[in-house]
Amino acid sequence: MGGPEPISTRRTSQDALFQEAAELFGASLERLARAYEADPEKRRDLTQDIHFQLWRSFERYDSRCSLKTWSYRVAHHVAVSHVIRERRTFLKLVSLEEFDSLPDQSGGPSSDRRLNLDRLAALIQRLKPLDRQVIVSYLEELDAAAISEITGLTPANVAMKVHRIKKILAKWFHESGHKGADHAQ
Amino acid sequence: MRNDMPGGDPKEIWKNQSNEVPAMTLKLIQWKARELRMKTRKKLLGSVAGPVVVAFFWAYSTKLKGITPLAQALFAFIFVWSLLGTYILVKGLRSGPMPGDAALSTGLEFCRREIERQQVLARRILLWSFLPSLLGIAGFVLALALIGAKVIPRGVPFLVLVGAWVVAYFVIRSREDHQLQTEMDQLRQIEAENRPGPA
Repeated sequence: MGGPEPISTRRTSQDALFQEAAELFGASLERLARAYEADPEKRRDLTQDIHFQLWRSFERYDSRCSLKTWSYRVAHHVAVSHVIRERRTFLKLVSLEEFDSLPDQSGGPSSDRRLNLDRLAALIQRLKPLDRQVIVSYLEELDAAAISEITGLTPANVAMKVHRIKKILAKWFHESGHKGADHAQ
Repeated sequence: MRNDMPGGDPKEIWKNQSNEVPAMTLKLIQWKARELRMKTRKKLLGSVAGPVVVAFFWAYSTKLKGITPLAQALFAFIFVWSLLGTYILVKGLRSGPMPGDAALSTGLEFCRREIERQQVLARRILLWSFLPSLLGIAGFVLALALIGAKVIPRGVPFLVLVGAWVVAYFVIRSREDHQLQTEMDQLRQIEAENRPGPA
């Protein structure tokens, strides 16, 4: 047999792959958009762009990597392009290592989940794209091997970054709680 | 991650956020494709700014009495330059890898390539759009001076505006260039640190 696949068959498999990915990872991809865009309107556009590019990308999907890795890679790529296109200054973004040494600007504790989500999103949006990929993947409960496959960092480096992320999150979501308790007293 | 944090477990907070965007159906995808085509058309329209500026000053200068054939030839040269520039810029815009096409590259590779692309694009805009526009304006001022028009002092406000535009362009560009280069250096260093060693 061999030869190129007929276009209609390709299109069907492209649509089917997209529908499968959207069903499996749709919610994760929307959360990912929150990590890259604070403005709700622009975030909506970004989420749609991610889905569109994901659909386009499946025309070339060849199972060289898992559907999950493929979908996350495409989503991160679209989001990184969005950040660069929006001309957000890189100098204002920090690496995880730099972030760890910054003073806590979390703005106090809260038992309000919405506020905590906004704080978490704000924390992520201050990070450089590569570190955002790591923290978002960590929050989505991907393991070190999967994060390594998506980002291109070695598993050892991913583990180191995840350790730092845990430390930062503990500082933000625990220490601020103590501060709040002190204020409340 | 501990679950005893005041606001709850960050993973849980992250994963339990409510959805804001309706599910993307294939129909919505088709609509998005149309929207993207329209955006691309608008971008292409924006890239003809250089030739439009040059053509405007060329057309204006042809109405001046006593314009020399040399000045006309200069304008023709700049116009062709800016047209060629538009072609190169449009080609660059179209040939850029769409994120979806780069799914086989890792985040690290993609970030680096994307920044490289931005650097190339900034250089192309300088060479093929900004410089011809600037030369078009310079040619116009020169043509005015050659026919004996009193460029100074009557043209001073215009010249000041052009000067401010040029200075602002170079200040912004050099700042952007510096940021992109710093980012690129850091990414290259990370890439070197994460290169798989010999087996």
